[in-house]
Amino acid sequence: MAEMTRRDLLKIAAAGAAAALPGVPPSVQAQTTQKRDLVVAQGGDIANLDPHLSTSSNDIRISFNIFDNLTSRRPDGKLAPALATEWKLQGQQTWVFKLRSGVKFHNNDPFTSADVKFSIDRSLDTNLKGNRVNTVLPTVDRVETPDPGTAVVHTKKPDPLLPARLGFYGGQMIPKKYVESVGPEVFNQKPIGTGPVRFVSWVKDDKLVLEANPDYWGGRVDFDRLTVRAIPDMAPRVAALLKGEVDLITQVPPDQGERVKGNAGTVVTGALYGGLYVLAVNSKRPPLDNPLVKQALSLAIDREAIVKELWRGRGIVPNSMIAKGDNHFDASLPPLAFNVNEAKARLKKAGYKGEEIVIETTSGYMAGDKPMAEAVQAMWRDVGVNAKVEVMEYSVRAQKIREKSFKGLWWSDPTSTLRDPDGMMWRLLGPGGPQDYWRHAEFDELGNAARFSVDEKFRADAYKKMTQLFLEHFPWLPVIQPYEDYGMQKYVEWTPDPLQQLEIRRFNFKFRRA
Amino acid sequence: MRGLVPFLASRLLRAAVALWLVSTVVFVVMRLSGDPVPLLLPPDAPQSEFARVRAELGLDRPLPVQYAVFLGHVMRGDFGQSIHFRQSAFRVVLGYLPATFELGLAAFALALLVALPIGVVSAVKRNSVVDQATMGLALVGQSAPTFFIGILLILVVSLNLGLLPTSGRDGWHSLVLPALTLGAFAMASIARLTRSAVLEVLRADYIRTARAKGVTEALVVVKHTLKNAAVPIVTITGLQFGTLLGGAVVTETVFAWPGIGRLAIQSIYNRDYPIVQCTVFVSAVLFIVINFCIDLIYGLLDPRVRSS
Repeated sequence: MAEMTRRDLLKIAAAGAAAALPGVPPSVQAQTTQKRDLVVAQGGDIANLDPHLSTSSNDIRISFNIFDNLTSRRPDGKLAPALATEWKLQGQQTWVFKLRSGVKFHNNDPFTSADVKFSIDRSLDTNLKGNRVNTVLPTVDRVETPDPGTAVVHTKKPDPLLPARLGFYGGQMIPKKYVESVGPEVFNQKPIGTGPVRFVSWVKDDKLVLEANPDYWGGRVDFDRLTVRAIPDMAPRVAALLKGEVDLITQVPPDQGERVKGNAGTVVTGALYGGLYVLAVNSKRPPLDNPLVKQALSLAIDREAIVKELWRGRGIVPNSMIAKGDNHFDASLPPLAFNVNEAKARLKKAGYKGEEIVIETTSGYMAGDKPMAEAVQAMWRDVGVNAKVEVMEYSVRAQKIREKSFKGLWWSDPTSTLRDPDGMMWRLLGPGGPQDYWRHAEFDELGNAARFSVDEKFRADAYKKMTQLFLEHFPWLPVIQPYEDYGMQKYVEWTPDPLQQLEIRRFNFKFRRA
Repeated sequence: MRGLVPFLASRLLRAAVALWLVSTVVFVVMRLSGDPVPLLLPPDAPQSEFARVRAELGLDRPLPVQYAVFLGHVMRGDFGQSIHFRQSAFRVVLGYLPATFELGLAAFALALLVALPIGVVSAVKRNSVVDQATMGLALVGQSAPTFFIGILLILVVSLNLGLLPTSGRDGWHSLVLPALTLGAFAMASIARLTRSAVLEVLRADYIRTARAKGVTEALVVVKHTLKNAAVPIVTITGLQFGTLLGGAVVTETVFAWPGIGRLAIQSIYNRDYPIVQCTVFVSAVLFIVINFCIDLIYGLLDPRVRSS
């Protein structure tokens, strides 16, 4: 599936370049630079650099470059060796990680298995003030360190996804000696890791400065200095790119892409989001407890129109609850269907009597949230559904998630952090999960069995059956899998990451030199 | 200056009461707005996690207890730990103050430097082309929304003319556009008020007397008019200064300027109680100090205020 994604990306990049420069191959137009400084502007401020204190994308874009994990999720979706050079499963519940030798932290302390144990233990430590990642590695029982170059992780149950879990937030490797000697507050302000860039200075809400780690095990990065700026407003962020003050910007909405593409020196590049935008359903509220009603609602959404009109083509129509690019995504399934007559027929069969169906949406929290809610409302009204849109604030939404008090449907943009259905669909929709509003005995049994099985063939079958049940009951109405677009100077060679990471290591970032 | 000590004492007392009221209102309003914990934890965090974090932040205690603890700490200048930054809230806010002062003072200086001469010239040359053009511009400056002025300046001055940085805080040249944006409203209102205050004085009998004595027009304006027109100008200027320091939210956001306005808004979204309380408190102190200074300046300008 990663191949497909890459091909799609190339196609889109080529189309973008062709639109901007008709008749000229992009490589000829590519500009070059002598820059040694990379300046990145993102839409939000950085709050914490201690990787155990944050799951916010603005923070981890940076912390994943100050720190390394044992495994590394590459922009192509594959899991690659990082601080561990190899890992294997012994029996059902013991993972053995061989550590890369000769790796040093930014303060020259050597990286050993003691740091692995310290990092994983701290990640799980509920006594660590402000710990936000202690639910990321729920299957870990204990870590053993038979020698400095080997770490052994015992899990409570068989966990096929442990190496993947260690590749995302909560799995960053931090220096035991430094953290213990300076304490958590200093570590959060002046972090030290093994990563490709090391900390220089930080003015909150303004800029963070990092410099190349000259001895990085993965090769020195292609710049001397990395400055990360926070420019919350979109228009100034785009203006800073167009003027050449910054080299790379995050979160370019579809309607701004044209401006960036239309400028001679800049391009738009995007990655298909590793996740979905769905309308989550409170299936406990009549009439949404009736599968026929939910089938009708799904059939009434013209997703092609949403992709084309609201997203200017920057997205694809999902075919199930599994995102394209994830393990066990079934490419043979057709995209979710749009059929007005069938929708009306199922509503009639369900005995729908015009009960109000409410979409609660934020405005501007998720890209396109309110316009999409209004479009869906109009589409539902076309088939005779008494649909209503209510706007809520982001913090109200968080409260409602907590209290499970949504009136009908609401937007959710689940990220597939493990690039596997277990890390997205089952994490959210499973029993006791944050979106547990619908239970089905067979679905639950399959989901649990797949979570604790290390047999990928068995898991594939389980997710196939779960998909069929999902498409009958629709605990979510998946709407779009969008592209996440970035703007950059043409002299930058960089591949965006489906999980919103900023991968600037040598293999993924280069300035084009003259 | 017989009444100075009681004057100061009553001022200080009033200031203390105002600060107490402000902090209490913020405390109550923030708690009414809801729970910060769901914003801090991933949505799939278990129940026990919520309880743990709530206890960690002291939110599990009854409200009156939280309030008592809060007041006790504020007396000692301690606003607690920022929920979002994991740092002393007071230290976080202090870190944002220099940027706010820099922008506020620059906007204020710019506003005064432009507005006062324009206001005076417009009044003296009433109904001339200069008067009509500048007052027309002032009307635009007063009615155009800040974000619009800001983005317009970025697009025209920075992007099309390539003159100044689009955003950020990096030396004096990055200060010009945000100061102009933030100062636009103050500039316009000070210019308009100066014009009408000067016009009013120009109609007064003593000006006619001065002119009749043969005093030159320049001297009439500078010596006799300006001092008498100063009281309303100082009032509006002082009020505007407070607004410049406290009301820079939009400008700071558009220009990615790391000041307390943006910090306050972001902290409200994050429900970061300690930061919001501390920012409001600090802003209130600033307002009170500014008002106090204005009162003193009145006294210097107008003997009648001193005696009353």
